[in-house]
Amino acid sequence: MIVEETLVQDLKTKNTQAQAFNVLVSMYKERLYWQIRGIVLNHDDADDVLQNTFIKVYKNIDGFKGDSQLFSWMYRIATNEALSFIKHRAKMQGITDEDYQEKLVSNLQADVYFEGDEIQLKLQQAITTLPERQKLVFNMKYFQELKYEEISEILDTSVGSLKASYHLAVKKVEQYLKTD
Amino acid sequence: MKKNTKNPFKTPQGYFNSFEDKLMDKLSTEGSVMPKARGFTVPENYFDTFNDKLTNKLIKETKVIPLYPVKKIIAFVASIAAIAIIFFGYNWNSTEKLSISALANTDIEAYFENNEFDLTSYEIAEVLPFTDTEFSNMLNSSIENDNILDYLSDNTIDFEELNLQDNE
Repeated sequence: MIVEETLVQDLKTKNTQAQAFNVLVSMYKERLYWQIRGIVLNHDDADDVLQNTFIKVYKNIDGFKGDSQLFSWMYRIATNEALSFIKHRAKMQGITDEDYQEKLVSNLQADVYFEGDEIQLKLQQAITTLPERQKLVFNMKYFQELKYEEISEILDTSVGSLKASYHLAVKKVEQYLKTD
Repeated sequence: MKKNTKNPFKTPQGYFNSFEDKLMDKLSTEGSVMPKARGFTVPENYFDTFNDKLTNKLIKETKVIPLYPVKKIIAFVASIAAIAIIFFGYNWNSTEKLSISALANTDIEAYFENNEFDLTSYEIAEVLPFTDTEFSNMLNSSIENDNILDYLSDNTIDFEELNLQDNE
């Protein structure tokens, strides 16, 4: 396994940059994709945001100070890019972010890259009802099984607050699924 | 806490520290109706072809920017030329020197109308030589007596201030 420090150093060096970037993309593309897809829901949008995320990483690698892990830094960029994407799209359509996300969920059934059954669709609807932070924490913890410490570094929130958010989110989602 | 030295068993590092979290997470979703999968899929070979697609996009994004871009130079030269034409063209056939007499009265009036000078009447009086000057010298049209009377009746509160008797 490549040591993160070496990879960062290679990314900042002209001669080794291209190869190191290729390694970086291979290492993180899937994890970042699922993080983004969990927010934007649609595959094409997730693909756009993932590419923009890596381009941003490439352009800003010199500014990476190493205060946090490279993985957390990239996750943060991916999350911000995905949230900005949602906000931008909602603004373009003149609707609120919440309304836009509800629209995304209602379009899921027609999405060729969604093969979920009724309960999975309902789960997505339930997640949409959560406040933004709870939604992010739920996605990262429940689906991606990240550790609280990792989420804490990505979202810059205390572990205690994250635990509270997660348990609250789980209760709300369960409550939603039990109704009807 | 006292360590049990007779116990030959060990636990993984940090086991007890993370036990509570693991238990809470398990309790949260125990007997849950929540599915673990989301139902999302990706196109075939999407991740295999992603690196190449990204590399192509990155090449386009970070295309080398020429040190002296032709378009920018043309725009710069054109803007300099435009400024020069406006500047010289404005005074091209103008043999008349700039003076106060070259200004239209309406321009002067508009200037005084639209700018605040905060000048008191004493300050104005210091500048204007009133010894041989009549109001009619400064005005294009003479003021009718009726207009003066109207003005005075509208704007004078105390007629004593006018000191009319001394000047009769």
